[in-house]
Amino acid sequence: MNRLTVVYDGACALCVRCRDFLATSRTLVPIELLSCQSREARERYGNVPWLGEELVVVSDEGDVWIGPAAFLVAMWALADYREWSYRLSGPALAPLAERFFVAISSQRRRIASFLTKPRCEDGDVCTMPHADHELEHAPRGTYR
Amino acid sequence: MEPVVPSPYLVPVYIAYAVVSVGLTIGLARVLFRSGAVFLEDVFKETPKMAGAVNQLLVVGFYLLNLGYAALIMKSDGASTAVQAAEVLAWKLGALLISLGVMHFFNMYLFFRIRRRSQLAVLPPPVAPQMRLPMPVAMPVHAAQIAHAP
Repeated sequence: MNRLTVVYDGACALCVRCRDFLATSRTLVPIELLSCQSREARERYGNVPWLGEELVVVSDEGDVWIGPAAFLVAMWALADYREWSYRLSGPALAPLAERFFVAISSQRRRIASFLTKPRCEDGDVCTMPHADHELEHAPRGTYR
Repeated sequence: MEPVVPSPYLVPVYIAYAVVSVGLTIGLARVLFRSGAVFLEDVFKETPKMAGAVNQLLVVGFYLLNLGYAALIMKSDGASTAVQAAEVLAWKLGALLISLGVMHFFNMYLFFRIRRRSQLAVLPPPVAPQMRLPMPVAMPVHAAQIAHAP
């Protein structure tokens, strides 16, 4: 794996802050940051059903991580947090971490509204091809 | 004022203490150097010179801390009998050995930590991907959007 693409929600202030954090952190794998609202994200990863709903991380080899697994892989790419990504995917902490990431992700707009006024990247609201119906959660990632 | 009478047993105690503490420190530093080299060679595979340098610097720190501590605890209030002299010597050597032990475990911790860091850098992601895109997507490079490791 030579590169990871992190597809975040550009319409959520919390996510934009996290993106800024990722962009300034020391990484072990180069990270490309892409807003899910951007045309490029839709063109490249349009057939990932959870795009725009959950955090999506794609490797340059086509591997896709969704939801809590994507959080873990993003942590894994950071030099200072790789150790923690393994700790949080171990049997003791994995269930807790999973619930935490799901909560953060589903409440992100609400959390962001506490932090600051929403700041939309591309101006308009995120409209995803699957936004009209409720999506089930992505299948759980298998821990190694 | 009473003239200070030097304790007749103190000089042999000091001599024994100095010989044992310096000998122990040198012996342990050699063990540390030899065994530590194996660890560090594994960590710095591409740069063997670096392994040697780090090892030497660790051993220098070990010498400084131990000899410094040994020198600090050498002073004694005196020993008027042979039994007291033996007790003073035993107490000092005990303190020295414990400090050497603490230093040793700290060194081992450092070696493990250095090694763990280097092992982490090549490990695969902790979670298997949930999905595979049919074809590896060609990724145009957008320099401004890519965070590089420095």
